Amino acid sequence: MTVSAIEFTRLGPPKLRLHAMRCTSCDTLHPWWERFFCYSCGGTELVEQELEGKGELTNYTVVYYPPRDFLGQEPYVVGHITMDEGVLMPAPVVDVPADEVEVGTRVRATLRRMKLGHEGDVYYGQKFVVDETS
Amino acid sequence: MADLLSYGAYLPRYRVSLGEIQKFYGRPGRPRAKMLATPALDEDPITMAFEAAGEALAGQPSPGAVIVATQAPPVGLRKTSATLADALGLSDATALDVGANPSGLLDAFAIGARMAEADDRPVLVVASDHLVSYAERVADMLSAGGATAFLIGPSGGFATLGVRTRARREVFDVWRLGTEPEARYRLEVLFDAYGSTAGEALGSLERESGRATGDYAAVAASQPHPQTLRALGRAGVTQEQLAATSFVGEIGNIGAASAGLALALALDAVGAGDAVALFGYGGGEGIAQAIEVTGAPPAIDAASRIAGSEIPLGTYYRWTRGRQAEPH
Amino acid sequence: MRVGVLGIGKTPHKIQHQKSLRDLIVEAGTKAMDDAGVAPRDIQALYLGNAASPGFNYENSTGLMGAHHLGIVPSPAVRVEAACGTGAWALHLGCVAILSGLYDTVMVLGAEKMNDLATVEGTSVIAQAADSKEEYFSGLTFPSGVALTARKYMQVYGLSEEDLAHTSVKNHYYGARNPYAHLRFECTVEEVMRSAKVADPLKLFEVCPMTDASSALVLCREEILRDQPDKPQVYVTATQMGTGTWYAASDTLDDAYNLLAKPAQKAYQMAGISSADIDVAEIYNSFAIQEPLGVEALGFAEQGEGWKGAADGSTWMDGPTAVNLSGGLLCKGHPLGATGATQAVDVVEQLRGTAPPDMQRADAANGISACRGGPGSVAAIHVYQRLEG
Repeated sequence: MTVSAIEFTRLGPPKLRLHAMRCTSCDTLHPWWERFFCYSCGGTELVEQELEGKGELTNYTVVYYPPRDFLGQEPYVVGHITMDEGVLMPAPVVDVPADEVEVGTRVRATLRRMKLGHEGDVYYGQKFVVDETS
Repeated sequence: MADLLSYGAYLPRYRVSLGEIQKFYGRPGRPRAKMLATPALDEDPITMAFEAAGEALAGQPSPGAVIVATQAPPVGLRKTSATLADALGLSDATALDVGANPSGLLDAFAIGARMAEADDRPVLVVASDHLVSYAERVADMLSAGGATAFLIGPSGGFATLGVRTRARREVFDVWRLGTEPEARYRLEVLFDAYGSTAGEALGSLERESGRATGDYAAVAASQPHPQTLRALGRAGVTQEQLAATSFVGEIGNIGAASAGLALALALDAVGAGDAVALFGYGGGEGIAQAIEVTGAPPAIDAASRIAGSEIPLGTYYRWTRGRQAEPH
Repeated sequence: MRVGVLGIGKTPHKIQHQKSLRDLIVEAGTKAMDDAGVAPRDIQALYLGNAASPGFNYENSTGLMGAHHLGIVPSPAVRVEAACGTGAWALHLGCVAILSGLYDTVMVLGAEKMNDLATVEGTSVIAQAADSKEEYFSGLTFPSGVALTARKYMQVYGLSEEDLAHTSVKNHYYGARNPYAHLRFECTVEEVMRSAKVADPLKLFEVCPMTDASSALVLCREEILRDQPDKPQVYVTATQMGTGTWYAASDTLDDAYNLLAKPAQKAYQMAGISSADIDVAEIYNSFAIQEPLGVEALGFAEQGEGWKGAADGSTWMDGPTAVNLSGGLLCKGHPLGATGATQAVDVVEQLRGTAPPDMQRADAANGISACRGGPGSVAAIHVYQRLEG
């Protein structure tokens, strides 16, 4: 559940762009939520780095019992995507039947609606589709 | 004069059979479209615009403005173009929303062309829509969704935006009162007004450009209903000119994106030296524009996207109802 | 260390619409005090583990509520929260309280009431234990996060879903014999394989139900229990805790192993025993795959082989180490805050010899409970021993 349109101010905008966090001390790329502490080197200065959008599905599951905000979309695939830049990105993989997904499939990021917030604020975010070009 | 630099199109993957919908509501008569292109529960005009824009922007210089034409902004009192620009990483671009009627693409071209020339910088124009009608009204409105994007530059493109003409009638054919969720319509008025403004606008185009209507390699027209394409015949447009650009009978009415998809289909089919007539109609206003193709268009094979995956009726209604879900 | 277990008590584990959260707390706490032979005024502190009452019940200060209605006022009370490891954290704090010398007798209690909300809403509340603003924002749920681990485990060790299904068969065998369990039916490998998909590859019989329950222990200084030789001489002899990543995306199989293995190694040292000495183990398994992972981390099997014990009998009642004779969380359910406390109660029952005969391990003297929580974030290991003389 989302809290309020106030919370959207912080939470919503960063999700419009596909990005990871890079530690300025050791250059390791971390998923986008690691804004505070680098577990590779203990560094505390991390900056946003935009990603190209392409990667490979290295693990996935199929959700049959969704949380409330995802009702109507089940069954849906949630994957662990290893981006070409090397960082692991968890995200849904859409527009492909669940039984046609395999580890190793190339995917690319796109923008989709994530949820209609508690106060009618609309969250968008990153989902992935099969990359037809590769 | 401004040029088209590139273009993109996005149709959602899913199709629902209009025949099944009519059967469910006991509505007699042949369905006027075979399928309706149906955005998934997590899609809307912004997400579809994002995809189309991505295709148009690939390998191109960054635009200084983003103009969106849509009849279905996901959120009112906010600019669809502003959120789209943020999502595309173009937060410094001028964001403009145009429209509220299906000829919005033509208006966006007019504004975009002037801005591109004035600022010497490309402008991204996106027409994206998701029309939703309920119950048997879908059989009349053929409500569907999709998006198209065009990058306009001051020069150096593969086609030039040429002469523009306009005709207008004060009519109520498809309209929505401010407080209502769904459109009202009187299709007889639509077919009539579409046909007569098309005749007038294309006639003016002929006179002002010096090119006969029949000399365009293709006519790309907004198409809310197959009957409107037939009305173009009375304005001097031939079957051959509509052969590559007719799709409403396949996937339904995609609103503001309709003229854009027709244009993308036309550009895919023509070559250097050809001309395309673009026509958009909405709310009693018909706008025509000549597009002179000077180089080989960077074709995207939009025609291959017309076919999609059929979804059952239950899924269609779960998704269209879901759009109306209350915040919780 | 030795902390005396003076009394234990638990409620049935099931959907209990007629009982509120405070009803469950008072039931378990009262049973534990009665078993201990103490009155509420003897309890010097209450550590009440509850993971999500603000979400499930719109009640925040569960510790204060418990203190009042158990009659423990004016002794201090606090709500303890550490996701699914909550109950074990309450136990840890209870042990620390006794070992500090500041308290002689304390109550450790875990409680959760999950079923006032519909399952779909409850799933969202549970997801709030993980990063619901970022990682779990886009449709991941706890079952799907664990499913990703299950698929990795199968990939790395070349296992089939049938191999993993034996864990459910064993847990259900004993759950059927546990009068306090939520799910009380046996099942076969075929029935596990046919059960409805929840988050591929996890199936219905491989995930726990949403349960309402409470469990409690009265702990005391070693001397207090020693001075009552007629009471069962069961002591907590090790308590070791740890944390791991808060993100399923960063939780590798090695992380899952180390999360429990490191505190387990310290716990064995602290208790002065080894894994070979353990007779009974309660290993956290809200999802079936977690039992093999825990079996490996606690040293009962090599990495990649933890699943075999359920298939070949070695983790059944008469095997070298009996695992989850209570039916595990798969059958007891996982009332989030109660689980760690219930595991302790169930091990103590085994060491006292008071479990129902068809699930009582003969001569159980050394036990261990392994509780975990979050995507990969909480580890709690406790060792219990029956010490004569």
